[in-house]
Amino acid sequence: MSILGGGIFKGMAVTLRNFVGSYINKKERLPTNDYSWRPDGDLPQGIGDYPKEEGEQLSDTTTVTEYSRNFPMLLHDGGEPMDTVRCVACQICERECPPQCIYIEKDYDENGKYIKRPAVFDIDVSVCMSCQICVEVCPFDAIVMNSQFELSTPDRFGGLLVRRDDLLKSNDYYHQIHPEEAAARDQKMAVEKAAKEAKKKAAAEKARAAAEQKAAEAAKAETKEGAE
Amino acid sequence: MNFELLIDILIATVPLMLIFATLFAFTTWLERKALARIQNRIGPNKVGIPCTRISLFGLGQPAADGIKMLFKEDIVPRGADRLFHLLAPILALIPSMLVLCFLPLDFPWLNENSVKAFLLDGAVIFFFAITGLNTLAVFMAGWASRNKYSLLGGMRAVAQMVSYEIPLVLSAVIVVMMVGSLNAAEIAKAQTGWDWFVFSPWGFAAFVIFFIAALAETNRSPFDLPEAESEIIAGYFTEYSGFKFALFFLGEYIAMFAISGLAVTLFLGGGDGPGLAVLPWLSVIWFLAKIFALIAVMIWLRGTLPRLRVDQLMGFAWKFMLPLSILNILVAGFAWHAEQLDNTFITVITWVISLAILYGAASGLNQLNRGKVRPREYKYAE
Repeated sequence: MSILGGGIFKGMAVTLRNFVGSYINKKERLPTNDYSWRPDGDLPQGIGDYPKEEGEQLSDTTTVTEYSRNFPMLLHDGGEPMDTVRCVACQICERECPPQCIYIEKDYDENGKYIKRPAVFDIDVSVCMSCQICVEVCPFDAIVMNSQFELSTPDRFGGLLVRRDDLLKSNDYYHQIHPEEAAARDQKMAVEKAAKEAKKKAAAEKARAAAEQKAAEAAKAETKEGAE
Repeated sequence: MNFELLIDILIATVPLMLIFATLFAFTTWLERKALARIQNRIGPNKVGIPCTRISLFGLGQPAADGIKMLFKEDIVPRGADRLFHLLAPILALIPSMLVLCFLPLDFPWLNENSVKAFLLDGAVIFFFAITGLNTLAVFMAGWASRNKYSLLGGMRAVAQMVSYEIPLVLSAVIVVMMVGSLNAAEIAKAQTGWDWFVFSPWGFAAFVIFFIAALAETNRSPFDLPEAESEIIAGYFTEYSGFKFALFFLGEYIAMFAISGLAVTLFLGGGDGPGLAVLPWLSVIWFLAKIFALIAVMIWLRGTLPRLRVDQLMGFAWKFMLPLSILNILVAGFAWHAEQLDNTFITVITWVISLAILYGAASGLNQLNRGKVRPREYKYAE
């Protein structure tokens, strides 16, 4: 028979172990303070001294651990960002976003024809909850997560709305911060592209075969007619 | 006007308020640090002495928080009852401050008159009567905010505090029965020489009941339903900001000190401890140390236990604590009569029997309440 209220003491023992252990074995008990990416690879003296100077940033996101993700970014394939941007302004992410922090407007040329890219693409930092659903639903692999975490700003209204041009990042940068994920995504895209091309080719083949058959039939009919 | 008496009263009260306000600041720091360490975090460690790089383990944090609170905008919701919205935090603080005066703290600077000013014969009764006002303040805040969450929090708080007041008082009754006095100083005096009430079966049971009820009375975790963040934002002080919020916060912690002080007086021997014969003023240190030990357990429990459901909370008060504390009064009554016989053998027998009765009753009640829990039926949307 268990002692009355024994579960509480068990729980208290667990928390006590955490409490005492955090003073003895910092690396094991304070795992969220993983500073192993630092040059000395150890807890720096007096953590929380960051930022040491006003305006100092740890904005070199390549130093953050690979699987960290914080806020979406838009990918382009290098060169002039708006020429190679993957986003086609299909607005799927805008509709799927649970807190509805994405705002997209389609881009049109001077004739009013829809060109496949966003004219406006805003994400509200203060609303975004870093859920990554926009990444999951995007059929064009155009939106992925950035590990940039220093998004605080002195401007309460404009500063918290990240504009399209600030969201645009190159695929090279994506490879830099999330190498594994980016490689997998590239491979997936290549496979999809190959499949699409094969399909296109097959369709073209089929069309050509059909055309040939039609032509042959027509020729047959002609000869038949000629014979009669 | 008797100016000498007035000065004596000021000597007794002003340092008391300063000491407990300082301890409040320290306790907020302690709580944040301890909770952080329990949750594998570090906690506040940046704020120390201003304009230097000395951080002193973040001990400057309470002062920084206080300054921030003072300068924050005081927002009163549109449609709120402005007068009661202002009165509620004051009323939350005053009762807890008042009862501090009746803790048997023998500060060395007190003279005979100032001690006499607070030598109330009905101190224990006074304590419960005054701290009962806290409920009113909480409900006032919830009502005056004109906010559904606040009102829900206020109503929860009233239900909770009224329910737990009863086991709280009933467990204090045992000590009053044993000592035969309601005077806090006399209760403390009766326990000198390690004769604390917590070292007896009925006293221990009463202490446990008292402590659990005290947790509920001060809205501490796991009974912090009135301010459950995940359900009702912050409960009754959702609409409070700036200094009014700070007053609520202060009131809550002072109430913790007061009720821990009462627990120390009733069960843990007041200022009793080693070394008193050499240095009489050590009793104050012992008293505060015992208060802090209780506060530390409260923080520890807050880091350990999840919040109860409302029906669990009410069920625990009415189905477990109330019968057990009433039974405990009976046991204590018999034990008192047995102790009057002054026979070691009978005393030992009494201890064994009362231990068995109390433990059996506790596990019986536990079993009785557990039997009604059925396996949960899940219902899915069609």
